[in-house]
Amino acid sequence: MSEEEKKRKEKESSAGEEKGKFIIERRYVDDSRIIEPKKLELGGIDMSGRWGTLVLPRTLEDFDTEIYRDVEKLPRGGNIGKCWQCGNCTAVCPVAHAHSEFNPRYLIHIVKMGYTSEIKKHHEAVYLCSGCGLCSAACPKGVDPQGVMIAMSIAFKAHESELTE
Amino acid sequence: MQLGKDEELELGKEDAKLLETLSSQRKAKFAFGTTEDYLKMLERMKELEKKGEIIVHHVTDDYDPVGVRTLSGRVKKIPTRETWQHKSCGQCGHIPGYISAFYWIMSELGVSYVDDTNQTSCTAWNYYGSGTSNPVALSAVFLRNMHAAYERNAYPLIHCGTSYGDYKECRYLVVMNRDIRERVRAILKKVDRELVIPEELVHYSEWLHVMRQEVAARRKFDMSGVKVAVHAACHTYKLMAEDYTYDENILGGRRPAPTSSIALALGSQLLDYSNWYDCCGFGFRHILTEREIARSFAYFRKIRPIVRETHADVLITHDTGCVTTLDKSQVVPLAQGYRETIPVISDSQFAALAMGAHPFIVCQLQWHIADWKPLLAKMGIDWQAAYEEYKSYLDKVKGGMKPAFIRSPPRHLQPRPHTKAFRVDEPVMS
Amino acid sequence: MKAPDNPVLVIGAGPAGLQAAKDVAEFGVPVLLVERRKELGGAPIRWSYHTLAPDFRPTEEVMGPLIDFCQSNKNVTVMKGCIVDGYSGRPGDFHVRIKDETTKNITEKVVSSIIVATGFEHFDARVDPRYGYGRMPNVIGINELEIMLKQGRVVGHDGKPPKRVAFIFCVGSRDRSTNPWCCTVCCGVSIKQGIEVKQLLPDSQVYMIYMDIRTIGLWEKLYWESMEKYGINFIRGRVGEVYYTGEKLLVKGEDTLVRGPFEVLFDMVVLAVGIEPGPGTKQAAGALSLSLNEYGFLAPKIPNVHFDSGKEGIFLAGACVAPMSVEEALSEGSAAAMQAVKLGSRLMQKVPV
Repeated sequence: MSEEEKKRKEKESSAGEEKGKFIIERRYVDDSRIIEPKKLELGGIDMSGRWGTLVLPRTLEDFDTEIYRDVEKLPRGGNIGKCWQCGNCTAVCPVAHAHSEFNPRYLIHIVKMGYTSEIKKHHEAVYLCSGCGLCSAACPKGVDPQGVMIAMSIAFKAHESELTE
Repeated sequence: MQLGKDEELELGKEDAKLLETLSSQRKAKFAFGTTEDYLKMLERMKELEKKGEIIVHHVTDDYDPVGVRTLSGRVKKIPTRETWQHKSCGQCGHIPGYISAFYWIMSELGVSYVDDTNQTSCTAWNYYGSGTSNPVALSAVFLRNMHAAYERNAYPLIHCGTSYGDYKECRYLVVMNRDIRERVRAILKKVDRELVIPEELVHYSEWLHVMRQEVAARRKFDMSGVKVAVHAACHTYKLMAEDYTYDENILGGRRPAPTSSIALALGSQLLDYSNWYDCCGFGFRHILTEREIARSFAYFRKIRPIVRETHADVLITHDTGCVTTLDKSQVVPLAQGYRETIPVISDSQFAALAMGAHPFIVCQLQWHIADWKPLLAKMGIDWQAAYEEYKSYLDKVKGGMKPAFIRSPPRHLQPRPHTKAFRVDEPVMS
Repeated sequence: MKAPDNPVLVIGAGPAGLQAAKDVAEFGVPVLLVERRKELGGAPIRWSYHTLAPDFRPTEEVMGPLIDFCQSNKNVTVMKGCIVDGYSGRPGDFHVRIKDETTKNITEKVVSSIIVATGFEHFDARVDPRYGYGRMPNVIGINELEIMLKQGRVVGHDGKPPKRVAFIFCVGSRDRSTNPWCCTVCCGVSIKQGIEVKQLLPDSQVYMIYMDIRTIGLWEKLYWESMEKYGINFIRGRVGEVYYTGEKLLVKGEDTLVRGPFEVLFDMVVLAVGIEPGPGTKQAAGALSLSLNEYGFLAPKIPNVHFDSGKEGIFLAGACVAPMSVEEALSEGSAAAMQAVKLGSRLMQKVPV
């Protein structure tokens, strides 16, 4: 995180308040993309209020595979590279049927590709895994998604500070 | 690189022609409204004129026309004198320097023009912004304005990108659809006007394009150190794309020629960037209903990549909406601590500055947000001295001097002769 | 009826044509092999294919023996730089006009049957300008990467090896504005090349941007190995634009599994250009009055019996009928040879003693 972004973060409204409430098509914009400082000033002029909101673009700009490498090295995480996104794991997953946030196929994809902005949004979902192991039985490529979930949770914990900033 | 034996990757002229034909044939397979349709429309216009159904306002030789090549390959005639200035709604309020600089250039070049107050908005703002209005109403407004120019014996020169695009679409409808044509004719009859369709619809950036050598000949400042990025306005080159000016020697013919051409003619360095095709962020419906997204898009998807990729000194464009959005949308990011910024001005302001126009009295830079001082310094313009001049000019205006570029149309009717004294009606006696 | 020992005419000396010529000649029947270009071997030789999918077999090992056979066997007469200009007659007794493309001399020959194996052309990616091919440095086709792999040196225009390479699939394939069919081989070929790039440059990152992976049959092995053994990444989506920043290539696309656009910098972009019928196929169709299908390939009488042109004595083989791999083209050549020999022996029985 750059200096200027840090400063901006400090100015951001406290958590809990409704973010971007002036945005008309609000439901299409993730919370994490809205920057809404409480106080805003330019050239000594107070600009706080209604018109100071910015919405960050959602473009994926790079592949940052650091977490992926860590997952690969962890016990039971070594087969993550075999995944080809068929979705068999999610199809049999009992948690996925109950919880929209938990999608083992998707978690594997964003980690494998290194989409940090997406990992930031979804990393906490990994703890929803019940460890039943149905996915590992169903996986045609021998990825062992259940093991990968465990490895991922360890890797996410190790990278917690970057993921929650 | 060698491909097979005796084969090279280099594209010969013949090869390029063949590929172009092949490419357009392939595109025509799925395109709606092809170049062929557009050329057919121009033919149809000639037929209608022959039958006496419409009057065509031709770009006759007394307009000193210059031919330019359009995307369709057709040569389009751009009138250079006796033009009827069809102004833009946005420019007067948001970036007044746009039009004043343009008028100043025409006067400097000794080119005659007509500044007529008898004109209306094209109302396409309404149409593209909210989807209201209808083709008949839009076409009637279009032809009413074109008739006003015809009446003054001057050729319409359209300032606003949106009007330009909308008029091209309306012209297509009026020429190709009898029903619309007859309904528009009936409306025009009510205001005692006829169906006059211009032979060419011309945007002011095309005028600057063909006059670029004359402009460059009067250049006062050395522009060779100035790095320029250009944003082309969507409505000028994406609506009826076939009709806008391209030049194979300007950015490889892959970007529209006007505006880039003036920057090149003045000797500045023209730079390309990755998201040149994207909207400025104005996007009509979006700015009207969704200012947050429009502002953020303008900054994060246009301004910031342009600054990062080109490190240009100035971003020039040719539509009021684009200048306004790209310039004004930098305020909030600057207040939030983002540092990347670039001044945004119109091509007319840029050309006028190079020709030695006053930065404030003529080019009205005081209305622009993003810092233009480094640009002026790089061009060698003493902006501080100019600002002092501007302040004393303002004092004179306050003291009653008539400001430059503001012309009042006749508004007052002659008072009628006064014959009777005022009286109060007495109550009727029963 | 003329004597049945008239030669079999084979048009095109690519994998299908060479295999056909070899098989016919081995039956002891003379062959007249007419090739438009100055060399034998067709696309694999013309474009210097390094290895062939799926087993990384060097192209020379496959094509070399065929070329050598046709050049040295006494039953095969080779005419290079020539095309077939027209024909008349009937099976067993076709009179064909063969034109030398340089001297414009015309030779008349009598042949018993004709095998058409005029092959394909790689799609010219300049026609689809979004990828910047021909305009931007470091945007190359799989055919050009193949040459680099053969030279054992994969580098950008600056002579440096690329760090991050993107393969864009279906360029000039499965696209209404260019060619709507699938070229069937470029998934496999691209993945094969991705593996070869990784073998040559182990530190490079290779990304495959695909719509569907169609590594048909046993070629699937390439797909599995590329992911599991070589760590090649697969992004499902299609690329909208490639832009050269003056240094790197900005690839704009969508990862459809994330439902979001990406804009990532690459050092090299390899276009998996498709297969289309070449001018040779069109010319042969005209000269022999054969019908073309809606896509411009030669149309067999029944779509799933490739060798049967619908005209007695004229047989089809290889990629002039449909996009196909070298291994398929070789079998098609053999199949057409069998038809020609079969026809010859049938005609011989009819000759009155």
